[in-house]
Amino acid sequence: MINLKKIDREEAFRYMGIKGEPPQAVISEAEYCEKLLLECISPKFHWITAGISDHSENGIFLSGHKLILKGNDIAGHLKGCSGVILLCATLGAGADKLIRKFQSEDMAKALIADSLASAAAEQVCDIAEDEIRRRFPDKFLTWRFSPGYGDFPLECQKDMLAALDASRRAGIFLTDGGLLTPTKSVTAVIGVSEEPVNRSRKGCSGCNIRDKCNFRKTGGHCND
Amino acid sequence: MTKKEKFRRLLSENEFVFLDGGMGTMLQAKGLKTGELPELLNITSPDMIEEIHSEYISAGSMIVYSNTFGCNRFKLNGTGHSVGEIISAALKITKRSCGNKALAALDIGPTGKLLEPAGDLSFEEAYDVFKEQVLAASDADIAVIETMSDLYELKAALLAVKENSDLPVICTMTFEENMRTFTGCSVSSMAVTLEGLGADAIGVNCSLGPKELEPVISELSEWTDLPIVIKPNAGLPDPVTNKYGLGAEDFAESMIPLVKYGIKIIGGCCGTTPEFISKTIKKFSGMKYIPQKRSAQAAVCTPVKTVVIDQPRIIGERINPTGKKLFKEALRNNDTDYIIKQAMEQISAGADILDVNVGLPEIDEKEMMVRVVKALQSVTDLPLQLDSTRPDVLEAALKIYNGKPIVNSVNGEENSLNTILPLVKKYGAAVVGLTLDENGIPKTAEGRFAIAEKILDRALKLGIPRSDVFIDCLTLTASAEQEAVMETIKALHRVKTELGLKTVLGVSNISFGLPNRELVNSCFLQMALANGLDLPIINPNAALMTGAVRAYKLLTNIDKNSAEFIAAYSGSSFTASISSSAAAEKPKNDMPADDLPYAIENGLKAESAKLTRKLLETKDTMEIVDNMLIPALDKAGAEFEKGKLFLPQLIMAAGAAQASFEVIKEHLSRTGAGGVSKGKVVLATVKGDIHDIGKNIVKVLLENYGFEVIDLGKDVPPENILEAAVKNDVRLVGLSALMTTTLASMEETVKLLHQNNVNCKIVVGGAVLTPEYAEKIGADFYAKDAKETVDIAKRIYS
Repeated sequence: MINLKKIDREEAFRYMGIKGEPPQAVISEAEYCEKLLLECISPKFHWITAGISDHSENGIFLSGHKLILKGNDIAGHLKGCSGVILLCATLGAGADKLIRKFQSEDMAKALIADSLASAAAEQVCDIAEDEIRRRFPDKFLTWRFSPGYGDFPLECQKDMLAALDASRRAGIFLTDGGLLTPTKSVTAVIGVSEEPVNRSRKGCSGCNIRDKCNFRKTGGHCND
Repeated sequence: MTKKEKFRRLLSENEFVFLDGGMGTMLQAKGLKTGELPELLNITSPDMIEEIHSEYISAGSMIVYSNTFGCNRFKLNGTGHSVGEIISAALKITKRSCGNKALAALDIGPTGKLLEPAGDLSFEEAYDVFKEQVLAASDADIAVIETMSDLYELKAALLAVKENSDLPVICTMTFEENMRTFTGCSVSSMAVTLEGLGADAIGVNCSLGPKELEPVISELSEWTDLPIVIKPNAGLPDPVTNKYGLGAEDFAESMIPLVKYGIKIIGGCCGTTPEFISKTIKKFSGMKYIPQKRSAQAAVCTPVKTVVIDQPRIIGERINPTGKKLFKEALRNNDTDYIIKQAMEQISAGADILDVNVGLPEIDEKEMMVRVVKALQSVTDLPLQLDSTRPDVLEAALKIYNGKPIVNSVNGEENSLNTILPLVKKYGAAVVGLTLDENGIPKTAEGRFAIAEKILDRALKLGIPRSDVFIDCLTLTASAEQEAVMETIKALHRVKTELGLKTVLGVSNISFGLPNRELVNSCFLQMALANGLDLPIINPNAALMTGAVRAYKLLTNIDKNSAEFIAAYSGSSFTASISSSAAAEKPKNDMPADDLPYAIENGLKAESAKLTRKLLETKDTMEIVDNMLIPALDKAGAEFEKGKLFLPQLIMAAGAAQASFEVIKEHLSRTGAGGVSKGKVVLATVKGDIHDIGKNIVKVLLENYGFEVIDLGKDVPPENILEAAVKNDVRLVGLSALMTTTLASMEETVKLLHQNNVNCKIVVGGAVLTPEYAEKIGADFYAKDAKETVDIAKRIYS
């Protein structure tokens, strides 16, 4: 069990579009929402390792899995890697329920809780990544690359969740529309290499939502 | 011999019944890749499946699960095979392997999709999916529903088995170390619900090893008399090696300490092999089954919350249109938000259970009941009391209720007993029995007691446990029948002490026609509590009533150390979980009423409502709306555009304006004046998209500006949007989509509206939209945020 003690509020304020010092009223509401959110979430992650059996033009094939990782960006991300780690993480259905409840009472709380939950989901991924890095002290690992980044298609989430047995291991499902449920869930690929890899994140140029990104619209960056 | 008798005989003839072990594990060892469907092997490699079954039977398995875990219409989609084809092929193999040595089980796993409200699969569709599986399995000896993490999905599957076959059924769920399933279901709620619905054996499978499951099994033994099933994993898997932690010997060994909790049916899940089963059987040889010892207790539940009736529990009575003008209006307008607010208020005031009555002659009560129950269970964890005079309404609600509810009510009339009690039995509910019959309400306590006895007798005959019958001795109005008050109390006392049943009583009726009603109500409530009332049906928002229950619990030493009482009244957070952040509001002392704009701009909800009430004494509604409310919102909007206010603050201002509007609406409904609608707007999050927070922000703002919003919700099919636009003759439709994957369905919706020449404009918005894309798909407007949507609506309706 992961015990998240606090949520990165600064990150959540950024998701709310707040620049600079947040107003006191928002801070008070965030404190309240954070407390309730921490009570109702059940963070969980699950990861597996898989060897890369083929790096071809048709994508990256993994041994023992039907999943094929497609697109130039994931290929670039995994360049020089001999294997991958597939990761899924979620806050559980409790977060969605709390946000839903807030939506019927107070939209401001709903918005604030939603942003806090997004920040918390990232924290769960960070905890997972820490655990993963500890398990591979002698290897070199890339950063987390998720479906939807660059030209790595969201469509591959179906096979990715199947490879992870994610519904059984973490309670993560896919809707008909290809969205993860519970909504505060994340999937990601980490490359494993024997040689040093570039761990720095790419800028916006390689991102396929660069024209629509809310951070960019307001002059910001998702990795500020 | 029926299949149920065959299963019962298996249980009675053996100390322990052994199941098989992992199927997926065995198949992966034989080269199956993840993501490939194991069920197709029933067609392509039947020998491989038969070999695995046979190995388990040789190891000693008495029940063998067919290779049909994921055999449903979703997973088979695109394979060219039907559910019926694969299930009958699979069962043929299993039957052949079993011969007369073992029972062949139809194995039913989860659909692989998450049910509403968290996911996009409706309860009704889930039921159909399972029904299709059950109908294909007439060859099976038993049905097994396993690896469920959602009690709602399990209920759909269990109903599908019970309604479409004569198979006995084993149900197992998957628990985590926190004693909950992924969807939050507790062990007690699982037991209480499944026992009611008529499962033949219940327990746990997958997720953890035997050792880690001990606390779950221990808890389960406190909650059920049914045979307990355990089918754990071979310990925990290592993510690097993909190997499970326990060997066959250790696995078998760690099962032994669980015998004392009453485990009866034993097998293995992921990572276990025939060796695990044979070693376990060897270990168990000579051991005796120890049935669990417990006494039945009255309890109702939702998946997350089990309410045990071992002390007075408050049933909130406010979700009921009787005598409530605004409530009736909300029902006529399909306004479930209003009803949810009634629920939230009662929960924060201290209700334990909510009564739900939505009967109104001019609406479709059945449809409304289902809609309201679904809406309530999407936001609250409190158990519900389903309240209707119509059996068809009760049945519809019982079917889709998630957990174990109370049915309100049956009475001593033959017709009522014959129609209501079978429903209570079938759906495993508790029931309120009213002590009246064909001759009306008996005047004396003796007469009412006799009817209570009759209701109990009939319930027991149908197999409804005694602990599920709650008797209501009926409150009559003191001002009309003063001599009857003590008859109610006497009857209640006798039902409680002589029949040992839980009692329920609607209290507020006592004071009808009297002044100072709350005083009379609370005194009567205290008398009833002292005479054994378990379930007072009251208005929890009435402080004196909820207080009387709390004080009673303190004085009778139920509320140990007065903890609940102190928490409720010393300003700490016990009951204030919903509204305590109002403490963050620090309004200026005694604001003059003219400060309404200030209160709104600063998002002070309670203050805005208060000031509006004050203003209504001297000003008319339109003056307040046009000269104070709207300008304040405009100002907040303008500051938001300039970047001086941030989105949460804009929404707080909208929330304060909403509070003010509600006061105005109430005032208008009291004075009978017309509404303030500036025009209707249809809003929807498009098909495939389940993120609706943005759409809801737009809704609040639009409503603040006096627009009437027809909110179709999320994941809305294009046809429904078209229908609503036409039916309501709106001039503006707003569509929202958050993900790139759902933009296609937004485009489809826009096209459909155009094709049908609907005379309205379309505004689109959402995180991934751009003005260019909006234009490309043929939308009339792109709105970058909620504020801009309001500006567009104002232009269209000006």
